[in-house]
Amino acid sequence: MATLWRLLPVTTLTVRQFTGGRTARLVFVLSLIPALFAAIYVARPWEVTPAEFLVDLFRELIVPTLLPIVVLLPATAAFGNELEDGTLPYLLMKPVSRLRLVLGKYAAVLLVTVPALLAGLVVTTLVASRGPDARDLERILVAMAGASVAAAALLSAVFVLVSLVVPRSLLAGMIYIFAWESLLGRFLPGVRAISSREYALRVFDGLLADDFPTASNASLTMLVVAVVCLLLAVWRLRSIQVD
Amino acid sequence: MIEPLNPSLNQVSIEPAANDLPGLPPGAEAIIALRGVAKWYGDVVAVSDLTFGIGLGVTALLGPNGAGKSTILNLVSGLIRPSSGTVQVLDRTVPGHTMVYRDLGLAGEQEQLYGSLTGREFVRLNAILQKTPNPDFATERTLALVDMADAADRHLGGYSKGMRQRIKVAAALVHDPRVLLLDEPLNGTDPVQRARMIALIRQLGEEGKTVVVSSHVLSEVERFARNVLVIVNGKLAAAGDFRTIRERMDERDHIVRIRCDDPRRMAAALVVEPVTTSIRMADGRLIAETNDVRQFGRLVPDVARREGIRLFEMQPVDESLASVFSYLVGS
Repeated sequence: MATLWRLLPVTTLTVRQFTGGRTARLVFVLSLIPALFAAIYVARPWEVTPAEFLVDLFRELIVPTLLPIVVLLPATAAFGNELEDGTLPYLLMKPVSRLRLVLGKYAAVLLVTVPALLAGLVVTTLVASRGPDARDLERILVAMAGASVAAAALLSAVFVLVSLVVPRSLLAGMIYIFAWESLLGRFLPGVRAISSREYALRVFDGLLADDFPTASNASLTMLVVAVVCLLLAVWRLRSIQVD
Repeated sequence: MIEPLNPSLNQVSIEPAANDLPGLPPGAEAIIALRGVAKWYGDVVAVSDLTFGIGLGVTALLGPNGAGKSTILNLVSGLIRPSSGTVQVLDRTVPGHTMVYRDLGLAGEQEQLYGSLTGREFVRLNAILQKTPNPDFATERTLALVDMADAADRHLGGYSKGMRQRIKVAAALVHDPRVLLLDEPLNGTDPVQRARMIALIRQLGEEGKTVVVSSHVLSEVERFARNVLVIVNGKLAAAGDFRTIRERMDERDHIVRIRCDDPRRMAAALVVEPVTTSIRMADGRLIAETNDVRQFGRLVPDVARREGIRLFEMQPVDESLASVFSYLVGS
C-alpha cells in the first residue's frame, strides 16, 4: 500500500475516497443489476436463447443506460467532490503537473468501474448460461467486455471533463444519459452518430462478427475523443479558481 | 514614521519601504509582493487597491471577519486569479507556476479534509505530492512538531476542530516550505494547543521563513507577529510594526464604563480632570470618554479613594477589534 501511495498518489487517494464512501459500493451494485435480469430470465425463460437474451440486454440496457450511470458516479466525483468540499487545493497547490492530476483521477475511475463492469458481465453470463440452449456465450462475453472497456474509457474522460466545467455535473450527466444516450440516441440518426452508445455497439458488433476493422475503427474514434476530453480537462484545471 | 497609505482611509504605516511596497521594513526583500491587486465577483468587490510586500519572519493579516483576509491568502496561493494587478511569490507570478508550490504551503480555512484517510496518511500524501526526498521521515517530524503523533492513526473524519487545524498545519509544513500561509490557525484550538501553535509560529519566523498568519483577534496577533497588515473592507488600512499601530490606536478617545456606589459624585470628580473628554450616566453607570486611557485607569481608583466612593467595576467598552477598525477607517 505504501508503495502504491508513493507511485500513484492521486490514483490511490481517489480510489480510497471511492471505497471509503458510497461510490464504489454503488458502482458494484449497479454493475450487478444485469445479473438480476438474467436470474429473472433463467427462472421464467421466454422464447429466446441465452445468447439472444444477453445481446438484447447489452444493446438495450447496459450500453445506453447502465454502463453510463456506473461510470458517471465515480467520474463526476473524482474532481467534483473535492471541488464541493474545498479539498482540491491539497492537490492544486503541489508541484505536480495538471496532466498528472487528471490522468491520476482518470485512472482511479477506470480502476473502480472496469473491474465492476467486467465482474457484472461475467456473473450475468454465468447466470444466463443456465437458460435453455446456451451456446456462443463466451464469444458474447468477450464482445461485451471489449465494448464495455472502450465505452468506460470514453465516458470516464467525458464525465471527468464535465465535472470540471458544469457545476451540478451528476445531474447534468444523468440528463445526458437519459435524454441523449437512452432516448434520442435510439431514435434520431443524427444523435446516434455522436453518441457513445453507437460506437460501443460498433465495437460490440465488430467483435461479435470477427469484424476487427470495424471494432478497431470505432475504438480508435472513442480513444481520440477520450484524449481530447482529458486534454480539455487539463486546460480547465489550469485555469480553475478555487475559493 | 507614520504615513497614510490611502487618503480615503485613516491608515498608518511605519517607514516608507525601500522598494516602494508598504509593509516592508527599509531595505527588506519582498518575498510576497502584491501590486495594484483587486478581486471582484460580478458586482461584489472582495479586495481592491492592494499594494504591499511581505518579507521574512511572521506577518499577521489582521481584520474583522469578511474583510478579505482569506481572499488575500487565496490570491497569494494562486488558487484564485486577481481581477487586476499582479501577485508574486519568490519573484514568480502566481497563479501560473506550479513549481512555486515547492516553496509554499497553505493551511487554508476549509473545514473538510479527506475523511477516509488517517492523519498520518494525509500528511504523508502531502509529503509525496511535494516530492519530499524522505516522505516518512518528513511526516513523522512534522506530526511531532504540531503534537499530533499520538492521534495520527485516527481517521480525519473523527478529528475535532483543533486537531484538524493542527493536521492542516502539518500538511502545509511537511515539505519545509520557505513561505507558509496560515488562515486563522488558532480557531478551535484549546489554550494549551494555542500556546503551542503560537510558539511554533514564532519558531518558524525565527528560522527565517516567511509566515503569514490571518487572524481577527487583536490580542492573539500581538503574541506572534511584529509586522501587521490590517485589512478592512477589502482594503489595506494599515501596515507596519504592530506596536506603532497599537500606539496610534491608543491616541484615540476611549470609552470606559464605571460602576460605583455614588456615580453622581464620581462624575463630578472626574469631569474636572483634563483626561476626561466627556461623562454621562446610563442605567446607573457612568460612561466616560477619555483621551488617555492609561492615565484614566490610574485616576479613577485614586478619585474613588479620595472621595470615599466604592468602586465596583471599571471596563473599557470599545476595545473590540471592530472599534479599532472603525477608528482606522476613520468612520
